[in-house]
Amino acid sequence: MREYLTVSQLNKHIDHLLQTDVILSDLWLKGEVSGFKHHRQSGHYYFTLKDQESVISCVMFRSQARRASITPQDGMEVLAWGSVAVYAPQGKYQLYVQELQPFGIGAWQLYLEKIREKCQAAGYFDIERKKAIPGFVNRVGIITSQDGAALQDMLKVIRQRHRRCQVFLVHSAVQGAEAPYELAEAIRLLNEHGESEVIIIGRGGGSWEDLMPFNTEIVVEAIYKSQIPIITAIGHEADYSLADLAADLRAATPTQAAVLAVPDINQLEATLARQQERITAAITRKITRHMETLDRIMMKKVWKDPLQLIKLHSDRLQQAQLSLNQAMGMVIEQKSTRLAFLTARLDGVSPLKTMQRGYALVMSGTAVVTRGEQVKPGDELRISMLDADLKVRVMGKEAVSRWKI
Amino acid sequence: MENISFEKALQRLEEIVDLLESGSLDLQASIEIFEEGIALSVRCQQELQKAEGRVQQLVKKLEGGWELADI
Repeated sequence: MREYLTVSQLNKHIDHLLQTDVILSDLWLKGEVSGFKHHRQSGHYYFTLKDQESVISCVMFRSQARRASITPQDGMEVLAWGSVAVYAPQGKYQLYVQELQPFGIGAWQLYLEKIREKCQAAGYFDIERKKAIPGFVNRVGIITSQDGAALQDMLKVIRQRHRRCQVFLVHSAVQGAEAPYELAEAIRLLNEHGESEVIIIGRGGGSWEDLMPFNTEIVVEAIYKSQIPIITAIGHEADYSLADLAADLRAATPTQAAVLAVPDINQLEATLARQQERITAAITRKITRHMETLDRIMMKKVWKDPLQLIKLHSDRLQQAQLSLNQAMGMVIEQKSTRLAFLTARLDGVSPLKTMQRGYALVMSGTAVVTRGEQVKPGDELRISMLDADLKVRVMGKEAVSRWKI
Repeated sequence: MENISFEKALQRLEEIVDLLESGSLDLQASIEIFEEGIALSVRCQQELQKAEGRVQQLVKKLEGGWELADI
């Protein structure tokens, strides 16, 4: 019997040769994407890379695919990093892709523009969705590389401005294929933790390729979905990333982000002290003014000699009494003069005067007797004299004629 | 008053300062608002003193949840 190999053994042998080859086990391949398929269930990418004469099948497994810098599209010029191996069930070799990038700056820019449009359409950059950065913050979340200079810059500024500010650091790669996934995860973790009042995502400047993680949809979406306001500080002044567009506030540098995130406590304390002084001065002024007014009122004479007020009234009372007495005196005098006059007249007509001269009044019962014919002899009469009444009986009657004067 | 934010408290304090300095309030209202102002400023100062000043690293645990480590 000849020596032979089974099909499986052959493929296994070829596979071994491919995988131990220096070039085939670790290579960057340039080509144009075609026949791209994103397998929904497995999450793997399937596509071919081609140039004018040749094609090769490519597979990108889910775990790599979801961390890839880009999502490939047909017609896109890309650089694929990976290794060549045999796919035994179909007896063909293919490229197992680990990382995928657009080829050249032009391709990157085209690719970025596509993502930007997609994020824009999803509303990730909407101004009205942006959250306000709190003006007074005690707890800051920082997402950056724990080994980077950016972290030290930020911590230094935070300590200078607000020495008691609490910092929650979440370490994340800020460049490379893992970075987008870690950055997004860090944002979610800080939201789950929930203590931070503001989050800074920062890294120092780098090449445009280094900043690519901040241009991925996964990071932009995570920023958009964060409940906590986010300040981005990525790269240098001139570089705008898609993460910057999605952030609630964009700082030019990590140092500036720390300034924007954390209040200057010394300044706040000074402001507070000044305001305390001002309200105290204002209320003191007010009270002083009222006291002065009160003093002015209390200075008036009436408060010093309250009896004065009574004296004024009692003077008037006395005056009135005096006038009353005087008026009354006059009335009495008038009346008594009149009385004297009348008394004199009365005296003139009184019978008593006549009686003094020796005349008497003759009465019969109650009637005055003035004529002889009123009586007859034997009648009982009364004679009223000045100092006595006499009872008499008529003894006789004789008519007499007297002259009138 | 306990529930309003530091910024709201600071803003209210500024209003109170302006109001008091304008001198437009009567004495009773001035004193009430002054007391409010003092309470606010004390509260703001306490707020400034409250923070801890620690730097901690937040790490996600494999089995879920997180832990904080001082650094």
